[in-house]
Amino acid sequence: MIPSTFDYVRPNSVDEAISALKAGGEDSKVITGGQSMLPLLRLRLAAPSVLVDCGRIDEMKGIKDNGDSVTIGAATTHWDVLHSDIVNKHVKLLAQATETVADPQIRHRGTFGGALAHGDPAGDLPAVVLALDATLEIAGSKGRRQVAAKDFFLDYFTTAVGPDEILVSITIPKLGKGWGTCYEKFNRSANGWAVVGVAAAVKVDGGKITEARIALTNCAAVPVRASSVESALKGVAAKVSEIEAASQSAAEGTRATSDLAADKEYREHLMRVITARAVSCAAGV
Amino acid sequence: MEDAIKDGSPLVHSDKGTNKCYTYKLQPQGDGSYEEAKAKADVVVKRRFVNQRLIPAFMEPRAVVASPMGTSGELTIWSATQVPHILRVLLALVTGVSENKLRVVAPDVGGGFGGKLQCYREEILCVVLANKLGRPIKWNETRSEDMVATHHGRDQIQDIEIAATKDGKLLGLKVELIANMGAYLQIITPGIPLLGMFMYPGIYKMDAYDFTCIGVFTNTTPTDAYRGAGRPEATYAIERIIDELAHEIGMEPMELRKKNWIKHEEFPYTTIAGLTYDTGNYEAATEKALALFKYDELRKEQVKRRASGDKVQLGIGISTFTEMCGLAPSRTLGALKYVAGGWEHCTIRVLPTGKVELVTGTSPHGQGHETAWSQIASDTLGIPVDDIEVIHGDTRTSPYGMDTYGSRSLAVGGQAILRAGEKVVEKARLIAAHQLECSASDLEFDNGVFRVKGDPSKEKAIQAVAFEAFSAHDLPDGLEPTLQAEATVDPQDFSYPHGTHLCAMEVDTETGKSVMRSYVCVDDIGIQINPLIVEGQVHGGLAQGIAQALYEGAVYDSEGQLLTASFADYLVPSAPDLPSFITDHTVTPSSTNPLGTKGVGEAGAIASTPAVINAIVDALRPLGVNDVTMPAHPMTVWRAIQAAREGAK
Repeated sequence: MIPSTFDYVRPNSVDEAISALKAGGEDSKVITGGQSMLPLLRLRLAAPSVLVDCGRIDEMKGIKDNGDSVTIGAATTHWDVLHSDIVNKHVKLLAQATETVADPQIRHRGTFGGALAHGDPAGDLPAVVLALDATLEIAGSKGRRQVAAKDFFLDYFTTAVGPDEILVSITIPKLGKGWGTCYEKFNRSANGWAVVGVAAAVKVDGGKITEARIALTNCAAVPVRASSVESALKGVAAKVSEIEAASQSAAEGTRATSDLAADKEYREHLMRVITARAVSCAAGV
Repeated sequence: MEDAIKDGSPLVHSDKGTNKCYTYKLQPQGDGSYEEAKAKADVVVKRRFVNQRLIPAFMEPRAVVASPMGTSGELTIWSATQVPHILRVLLALVTGVSENKLRVVAPDVGGGFGGKLQCYREEILCVVLANKLGRPIKWNETRSEDMVATHHGRDQIQDIEIAATKDGKLLGLKVELIANMGAYLQIITPGIPLLGMFMYPGIYKMDAYDFTCIGVFTNTTPTDAYRGAGRPEATYAIERIIDELAHEIGMEPMELRKKNWIKHEEFPYTTIAGLTYDTGNYEAATEKALALFKYDELRKEQVKRRASGDKVQLGIGISTFTEMCGLAPSRTLGALKYVAGGWEHCTIRVLPTGKVELVTGTSPHGQGHETAWSQIASDTLGIPVDDIEVIHGDTRTSPYGMDTYGSRSLAVGGQAILRAGEKVVEKARLIAAHQLECSASDLEFDNGVFRVKGDPSKEKAIQAVAFEAFSAHDLPDGLEPTLQAEATVDPQDFSYPHGTHLCAMEVDTETGKSVMRSYVCVDDIGIQINPLIVEGQVHGGLAQGIAQALYEGAVYDSEGQLLTASFADYLVPSAPDLPSFITDHTVTPSSTNPLGTKGVGEAGAIASTPAVINAIVDALRPLGVNDVTMPAHPMTVWRAIQAAREGAK
């Protein structure tokens, strides 16, 4: 289908973008790569009056090593994330998850920040920033604010980014020595959305798991941390059988929906199986 | 569907008083009835299979333009159809516009798979509106509209029962179908399950066969032809139940097949369903496939994995299929109460400069007919393929044809090309003989050149003859100028391609997800005209058949709302979901046509579905699973495993 009529603005700075959003009123929307926005427009699920294209704002692009953390511009494409030495060295989990996002063509267009601000419960990247305790910088007419990943995702397709605000960058703390990571995605077809996805970061010391951070994709309206599995794993031997036992509580605190891909019972089963696999893989066993 | 035929069910057509569209019974075939065969049997296996509803999902959605042309009164209709000729007849009958004022053009059409074998309401509306308003009318659809409104395929519940001796000799087969017609009958809706009726016995010999089909109206999109049209359903049921029978009597599934299939020396063979299979060599295709597949090695690996209790189990699926191609002798179609005939037409014109126009009544929509048809004509006329132009898909330039569906274009249309080419050569021979001053029988024709036997210096190329036929200065008395010929060929019988397909699936018993590890097929489609096109047809067919087994399925809610109306919910696999197929062939020429060809358009889609499901069931057999419904969604497979485990407790 052809989208309904809209005006198009392409600002060169974050300030210009915010002014454009404000001027456009409630019906203005941000577009960067168009990975999510274009299908919405074409299916006429969204009919914005103004599209503000943030795809060419330099400040919103690029990847920077801050020493103990990495900052990624919101408009950085998946492709650039995937091929960044900094990301591959220090935020491996993000590279692992990004590799499973869509296909190469879409990864050249879609952006990291766009995937987060879209707030799709089936998107792979929200679980990564949640597991890694990232901080997201949002700019608006009243200035800039930092929001923790756990406070960023509010509901289905709803995030802390307000109508006249823009997600500018994401800062992810480095994990340091002894940590391993893995993103395990269960889907029905290679290009399909995650039925269940699990982002896991695990610290192993002397054959024992000393710390684990686990976040689940598509198991509630927003990505959720599998806190009880994280606690159960503490001090456990890094063995598949132990990890499987600890992963039995993976569905606690989730709100699984039923759809054509999985009903609630099956999705909860998958949470347990896929969590165990993600943790085992992250622990290198 | 079953609810629709219960008493008190709301009626789709209240004036009919029932949702039953028809009940068709094939008269009991063979020496005795199925019940007699069953009484003699040591083993009877009964299963219910569900061939789920599928959406054709061709690349190009449908589009139509109908336009009055100047003051001539002609109306031209451009439609993304696979049947321009049939469409013109139906549009004339339905709209009352005189047939000779209608011109239907099927431009380069992006796929069809049967979904564009129809006279759609939108095509009718465009004609009526354009005619009434005197202005061009355009209609096209979105993908979601297409998924809701273009006819669907399959959707049959199959109750199948097979009777055999304990050492594996098949005695009889009983099939009871419930077939979903949708809400309205389309061009061949009720006939689709009945096309399958002939194919349930597959490649096997047996003594008795009973078949009943109940057609049911439901508040869903109409069903009709979809790649294979009745034959994939039949092949699925017989190839699945053969595996179940093999398990029941403790016999290797390939051995059971070998014991019962028609041996190569027994062709032509009249089956229990009444068809006479022309030729085949199941032994040769199977032997080749087993070697390519490394069947014995995989069986060994399977034993190991079973013994170690691996979470990922390996299964091997077999499908030894045949199908009927070359639809069809017109008399046979008449006997089946099909309205149209099954002939095909070709005109070949050799122009004064030696270039050729080949007009075909087939209507390609992605099959590469231009290439293959040029090859046939080139071989016959001795004129280079680059000098041959294939003209098709326009009722003005190609007035006669029965179009493209049911693997018929080569098997029937190819014969018309051959015949028209032969007629051209016959006429050219008369002209050449006249000018070389010899008798026609003294000429040899080789690679486009007529030569006098014993005096090869006297020769005339067919292109030169074409110019002579144009100038007509020196033709034999009574011979008409121009070098052209027409042929309309009605096939003498169907042809029966076959093949052995082998599939290895790895099934994750924790999640229920099945991943294809390897796929080997050896098809025998008789003589191949263009092996690359054959390969393409096989690959596409395999993907489509595998898609039915693993991914695709149209789902309605109880209100009749289609839940799978976009590619986000209706899963069509793409290249990364499939392994590299290993395809090969054997060649057993057909005896029902002079080219020796059979059809290949549907082979892959027919054969692969049961191979995949047989492999998944084979992987899970030790867990007590003996069937998996299609599509083998991971959740479905997981549930089947859970149910078997519960049952075992």
